[in-house]
Amino acid sequence: MSGYLTGVLVVLAFNVIAAYAVYLPMAAGQLNLGIAGFMAIGAYGAAFLTNEYGWSMLAAVPVASAAAGLVGLVIGFPVLRTHGIYLALATFALGQVIAAIFLNLEVVGGAAGYTLSAYAGPYVVFAAAIGVVLVMLYLSRTRFALYLTAVKSDPTVADLMGISVRGVQVAAFALGAMVAGFGGAFYALHYNFVEAQHFNVLLSVFTVLYVLFGGAQTVWGPLAGAMFFTLAPEALRFGEQWRYAIFALFIILFMAIRPQGLITTSLFQGFRRRSNEASP
Amino acid sequence: MSSQATSTGGAAPEAAPVALAVTGISKSFAGVHAIRNLSFGARKGEATALIGPNGAGKTTVFNLVSGVYGVDAGAVTVNGVDVTHMPSRRRIGCGIARSFQNVRLMDHLSVLENLLVGQHIRAASLTDLLTPYRLFPNHRWRQEARQALADNGLERYANETVSGLPYGVRKRVDLVRATLAGASILLLDEPAAGLNPSETNDLRDHLNLLVAQGLTLVIVEHDMHFIDSICSNVVVLNFGEKIAEGPLSVVRQDPEVRRAYIGDEEN
Amino acid sequence: MLTQQIINGLMLGAIYMLVAVAFTLAIGVLNFLNFSLPGLFMVGGMATYGFIRIGWPWFFAIGGALFLAALISLLVERLAYRRGEGAEADVPLVSSLGFLVLLENLMLVQYGSDQQAFPALLPDMNLRVGGLVIGIAQIISLAISIILVAWLSWFLKRTNAGRRIRTVAENRETAQLLGVNIRRLVPQLFVASALLAAVGGVLFAVNYQQVSPWMGEGPGFKGVAAMIIGGMGSIWGSVIGGLLIGLAEVLSITFIGADVVNITVYGLLLLILIVRPQGLLGKPPAREKL
Repeated sequence: MSGYLTGVLVVLAFNVIAAYAVYLPMAAGQLNLGIAGFMAIGAYGAAFLTNEYGWSMLAAVPVASAAAGLVGLVIGFPVLRTHGIYLALATFALGQVIAAIFLNLEVVGGAAGYTLSAYAGPYVVFAAAIGVVLVMLYLSRTRFALYLTAVKSDPTVADLMGISVRGVQVAAFALGAMVAGFGGAFYALHYNFVEAQHFNVLLSVFTVLYVLFGGAQTVWGPLAGAMFFTLAPEALRFGEQWRYAIFALFIILFMAIRPQGLITTSLFQGFRRRSNEASP
Repeated sequence: MSSQATSTGGAAPEAAPVALAVTGISKSFAGVHAIRNLSFGARKGEATALIGPNGAGKTTVFNLVSGVYGVDAGAVTVNGVDVTHMPSRRRIGCGIARSFQNVRLMDHLSVLENLLVGQHIRAASLTDLLTPYRLFPNHRWRQEARQALADNGLERYANETVSGLPYGVRKRVDLVRATLAGASILLLDEPAAGLNPSETNDLRDHLNLLVAQGLTLVIVEHDMHFIDSICSNVVVLNFGEKIAEGPLSVVRQDPEVRRAYIGDEEN
Repeated sequence: MLTQQIINGLMLGAIYMLVAVAFTLAIGVLNFLNFSLPGLFMVGGMATYGFIRIGWPWFFAIGGALFLAALISLLVERLAYRRGEGAEADVPLVSSLGFLVLLENLMLVQYGSDQQAFPALLPDMNLRVGGLVIGIAQIISLAISIILVAWLSWFLKRTNAGRRIRTVAENRETAQLLGVNIRRLVPQLFVASALLAAVGGVLFAVNYQQVSPWMGEGPGFKGVAAMIIGGMGSIWGSVIGGLLIGLAEVLSITFIGADVVNITVYGLLLLILIVRPQGLLGKPPAREKL
């Protein structure tokens, strides 16, 4: 495989992981506009553990991911008392605060950035992304996924059915944070350099944009969104400068026409009905 | 206390135990009394009707019993357990489930998925949460839900998304969902509203079957024929207060009840 | 000196106040968190710069920039707000973010990512009052900001149009029943909030004499923070919030350091959202009933 193709696929892998990090809370009805902050926790965590304590990647990545998940859990409880616009703003503020903290943390390089010695090759990154997709596919077949949608659709009724609405919301938020940290950890280990400026609000915004584009109704949507966001600019060969402008314009127009995103449950309805007739 | 129906005439059967007891409950919203000092009981294996003119507070009573709102005063006891201060989420675990006046189904889920949500209280362990049931077409949960649909003649709607279905179907799915919680007490809010005569007959039979199986039903309804064919006890509400209680034949003679219904032509 | 910094903070706060009021109009009346407003702030500054660069006199340059901002806001209304009421509730918000990204990158393509020097439109005169130095630009900014906001407040309270707007903010359905022409009102509101943001951008450019495609992000997001602190939907809340944030920023730069500004401002925003989401003067968020 050519170096260029490998590079693109690595970017795709990271975008896929980020997409699912956003998708989990979104499936429960929450917008996490601070997802980049959790990626930063995973990235800096893995970098710090491998650099300063000489941990292996095998140990550093889970711990860094868990740290991101833990922050998501702890902050999630109070933040998730808000909803709607308030929640979007709170997660946005959270992302800004986390990035700003890392920017000021001299022990991990501060504004100059932080170089890593450990390295995760492209195939490791691919495996990580595939792992995330498999786990998401698995979850989508469980009651947990059902309850995410239930809590999003009608939290009052979900509560009356005995489901812990707050529990599901916090779980989705923390899990999403953990996945973001997971992706961030591998990002740091692959590119061998992290800087806080990378984990800015635009990173969060782009991720949210392409997840909504792909469609947040099914587990395949985020994958489609990540693929489009990564591969379409390559296919169309736009100049670096125009890439994001065209992407933003496209997303705006697409959302105006088809706000439910590319892949929706009704797309699967046809398959369901046909398979229903086949096996009663 | 046990309920024993005697086959010899003359001796009255012992009264069934009270499954749901509401004692002196009151609720105000922004200074306006919605429910005032209300007490009644619903007995096991019986259907109790909750009737009254529009705005009398019937759905509010259901909301108070199921815990959507907390009572300002009084107590609610479900199967002997005082649930007055219990969070709504935990009450279904005490054996009480409900359907909704305006059919609260989850629109983007299929009928089957809505029923699976209704099963939650019986499938609430961590293992249950993480079992990939969708990989197994014949998983017991799906079988049970499909069976419940089949019992109600609704099996062909199993995989349909709720939002596209006719009102009558959604109404009945709402009811089936309530029955899947394994509850011994069901609060049914206008279960017959919007159903055609054939559907209403099926509903009547279904409810009578549930009662015969020992369930306790509390039904809010306006259709007196329907109530007459199912309910042995009727509680009449007006302006949030109980104005009469007893068998329908007795209650409809009550002058205060008649006064409350003036303008509502009921036969 | 502390008083000098306080003055500087208030001047900065005046600009944040404009952005906050722009946001609060959109949220209060339309329940729409319009994230394109930071982009329109930037358009105010950068388009003025661009027009001046191609030789327009400053008056027309500013007018052109404001006109452009108004046009863009109508696009946002059409494509993000109106159509976005599909499956996901967050689509309008995220689509407006898309507009922010689009505007930034278009400016980036046109002018590059570096900061550009904005010409001095006002003479470099200062008012000296008892040891304090206040620039002419600062005074004019403060005056314009206050006049605009005060006029807006008067407009909403005293005119029929203002009453119509307040009715819509109160209860949309009732307003429609009462005959308010919402379809005409909404674009007007978009333009109004866009102009407020764009004027903020112009004032920022005139005061600090630099513009860049990213200039909207700082004041834009801090304007949001100001809105929340003051209370969503409250104009005077936005005024107070804007001034507070401006003060907090300048004082924390002076006493702690420039890098920590983001932590203090956004940390404060996060805290308020968790502890008291309605801010100082806003109404508590609505709760759902069965």
